[in-house]
Amino acid sequence: MDRLIKGLLTAIAVMAVLSPLGILLVWNSSGAWGEWDVSTIEHMVGQKLPGMEKLSSMWNHAVLPDYNVPGWNDMFHASAGYIISAVVGVSLVLGFYYAAVKLARG
Amino acid sequence: MHIPDGYLGPYTCALFYAVMTPIWYRAFKWLKGLKPQQVPLLGVLTAFAFLVMMYNLPVPGGTTAHIVGGTIIAILIGPWAATVSLTIVLLIQALFFGDGGITTYAANVFNMGVVLPFVGYYTYRFLTKRVGLDEVVSAGVGAYVGIVTAATVAGTELGIQPHIQPGYCPYSLSVSVPAMAIAHILTAGPAAAVVTGAVVWYVRKSRPDLFEMRTILRTEG
Repeated sequence: MDRLIKGLLTAIAVMAVLSPLGILLVWNSSGAWGEWDVSTIEHMVGQKLPGMEKLSSMWNHAVLPDYNVPGWNDMFHASAGYIISAVVGVSLVLGFYYAAVKLARG
Repeated sequence: MHIPDGYLGPYTCALFYAVMTPIWYRAFKWLKGLKPQQVPLLGVLTAFAFLVMMYNLPVPGGTTAHIVGGTIIAILIGPWAATVSLTIVLLIQALFFGDGGITTYAANVFNMGVVLPFVGYYTYRFLTKRVGLDEVVSAGVGAYVGIVTAATVAGTELGIQPHIQPGYCPYSLSVSVPAMAIAHILTAGPAAAVVTGAVVWYVRKSRPDLFEMRTILRTEG
């Protein structure tokens, strides 16, 4: 297993460093379909969506919303924020994964 | 494909939590039986799934899409492994990055952590076992079919919402299904095919036993 794990870990490191490509290639796009925030979609369809307004503010505690440090809006800062998000995300994923494994296997 | 909070109403969200409860129970039981030597592999693949989703790809028309990695995990370890992985990844994405939602979490896991890997995996198995196609090619086709199916299911959930309860996702099926399907047919699907094929090719080269073992088990079974 060692060689494969090493190869995949290398891939993960490279992908984290190159992750800004994931925003720079789509810098001027409108984001994924059906993932717009409430005001944007209300403007697009020209009507109020009261249910969506209520539920969309359900969770406001994201530490790195949209995989960025809040306020880091220009290309350079957003890229740095994206790499930080990649590193934080991978760490959290591994932490939660090993916690789940421990919980399941006792 | 991450449905945000607010796009699905309370009834729809509750339905998916009800659907996911027995599936999560089964996935947790599967995790109990995971072989110790597979624990690190599933860990790095879970991290891999988180990262591939950060690579947004441009879709003609101005939107974006990304691949998920669920079929890769399903082929290398098993479809239940993919359910476990995506349950963790989607939780982290919703809680810490505001991607997806809390109310829509179960629906998102259903789409990306159940529909996608199971469709991808059984397409792959059908092509390798019944058609006799090469593993790398079958993996690519499986990933393509898996992600396009999952996106279509997500589009269906969004498009049915106005008929269940208005005030949430305003788009009807005739808009949401083509929008979700086309983005994944044109962009994320081909990307998923190439990446999944490449990973399977690499794993078969570095760990051929993972595939030989499967072949033996299959002929015995």
